[in-house]
Amino acid sequence: MIQLEQVKKIFPQTTVPAVDEITFSINKGNICVFVGPSGCGKTTILRMINRLVEPTSGNIYIDGENILHVNSDELRRRIGYVIQQVGLLPHRTIEQNVGLVPRLLKWPEARIKARVMELLEVVGLDPSETAWKYPYQLSGGQMQRVGVARALAADPPIMLMDEPFGAVDPIVRGRLQDEFLRLQQEVKKTICFVTHDINEALKMGDYIVVMNKGKLVQKGTPMELLSEPANDFVKDLIGDDRGVKLLDLTRAESLMMVPESYPVARDCPCFIDAIQPVKMALEVMMKNDSDVVGVRRGDKVIGTLSWTEIKKHIHRISGD
Amino acid sequence: MNFEFERFVIAMFDRAPPYILEHMQLVLIPLAIATAIAFPVGVLLTRARYRRYSGRVMGIFNTGQTIPPLAVIAVFFPFLGLGYRPAVIALTLYALLPIARNTLAGLAGVPLEVKDAARGMGMTEWQTFRQIEIPLSLPVVMSGIKTSAVLTAGTAALAALVGGKGMGAVIFAGINFFRMELILAGTIYIGLIALFLDRVLSFIEARMTPSYMK
Ligand SMILES: Nc1ncnc2c1ncn2[C@@H]1O[C@H](COP(=O)(O)OP(=O)(O)O)[C@@H](O)[C@H]1O
Ligand SMILES: [Mg+2]
Repeated sequence: MIQLEQVKKIFPQTTVPAVDEITFSINKGNICVFVGPSGCGKTTILRMINRLVEPTSGNIYIDGENILHVNSDELRRRIGYVIQQVGLLPHRTIEQNVGLVPRLLKWPEARIKARVMELLEVVGLDPSETAWKYPYQLSGGQMQRVGVARALAADPPIMLMDEPFGAVDPIVRGRLQDEFLRLQQEVKKTICFVTHDINEALKMGDYIVVMNKGKLVQKGTPMELLSEPANDFVKDLIGDDRGVKLLDLTRAESLMMVPESYPVARDCPCFIDAIQPVKMALEVMMKNDSDVVGVRRGDKVIGTLSWTEIKKHIHRISGD
Repeated sequence: MNFEFERFVIAMFDRAPPYILEHMQLVLIPLAIATAIAFPVGVLLTRARYRRYSGRVMGIFNTGQTIPPLAVIAVFFPFLGLGYRPAVIALTLYALLPIARNTLAGLAGVPLEVKDAARGMGMTEWQTFRQIEIPLSLPVVMSGIKTSAVLTAGTAALAALVGGKGMGAVIFAGINFFRMELILAGTIYIGLIALFLDRVLSFIEARMTPSYMK
């Protein structure tokens, strides 16, 4: 668990706070995403958590312990850090880059080797192909994967990820996001994730903190942000397709009609699963040229979802 | 001034060679002292605490190099007199600048995000310096030492003027006695020494350069 209490940072020779009295906490095993325009203080927040930047005022606690009471080098070895510019060591092999923190922690050499190979596999790189290479021999996407592997190496309970998939094209980014979410299901880290891309925030976050000019604008789940944006800034950030984005987070079962007579549902030309997003229902309707889909849980048909219902829902949340 | 081939051969193979080692010493000793001074200074001037002095210190070094070596010797003459020591001191002052400049440039050229990542992973300041900054800046530092070596090899000829010996003694003997052969032989050897040092240091530099920088 990470807690920030009225944390403020004013950099030397500046007057406007880069981070202004921010308070929030992140529960164990959750992904908290910081989102906001460039320069709003996201990186500074991450760097205060691992003490690369010292707050001007306020307190930060990890598992209840004030981080100022911990040796900063030891603190950092317990926190995985994926930096915005990747920052692989250019004169070290990928194996050495990934093994950096375990070596600092003086793990036995055999264990480090095994761990590196395991991690390269985990982030989707061929260990025997990649381990001996140097960073300049990799593509941008591969380097970002190595950056993530390096941060995971010593199995830290906390990860700070600063635009970890920023330097790759949208297709690769989508794949890296999916892979990472799958990985998170297994490893259950407590993650601070920074992005300027609202779609990435909505996709990755259990919890989102929207920031602007150093100030916290809104915090909440993706659902809360989409359904009740606090102000115009958040609305603009989300964009005009707020309703459609919401459909991506809404399960089919929450909008379906439970028909009085099941034969109606059974006659539907197409079906989707109850926990699939409404957006998927739209996709299926379009493919089958139908105004309605049946909703199934397992083998059982439990309801129908119609185009009219979805439209009503969009109007309701868009507030017009 | 006339030129006799036979005298030239004697100058090349008999008169000049005894001065080779002397001259090498006149280059390597100031070079070693200058490295021992300029490298730590360059390191200090890239640390956060002292960075603000780097402009001023480099200004002093720069000025140092615009003063002719003979003038440096003249300034130190009242304290040190003539001979080997003032020559070494003047040559050392002269060799400082390229090494300090390249140390600064080399360390400043280590990418910020690499140092940042190192600290962020929990490397101590010293580990970051030893394992990241030194290896990544060494090629640039070495090339500064090489520049200094070649520069000093030439300037060291002037040491003979203040009794500092070296290959300069051969050249100045040639000037004094109107012997073209001696001047030529001395000059050739100085050129060869400079070339030799350049080759050796280039080899070391290449060995130190990580493959991605080549
Ligand atoms: N070391 C620093 N010194 C002075 N100002 C800084 C420093 N680091 C960041 N800033 C300033 O603080 C603000 C927030 O920066 P940052 O946290 O990097 O924003 P973000 O990551 O959201 O783009 C910016 O205005 C930036 O210029
Ligand atoms: Mg940033």
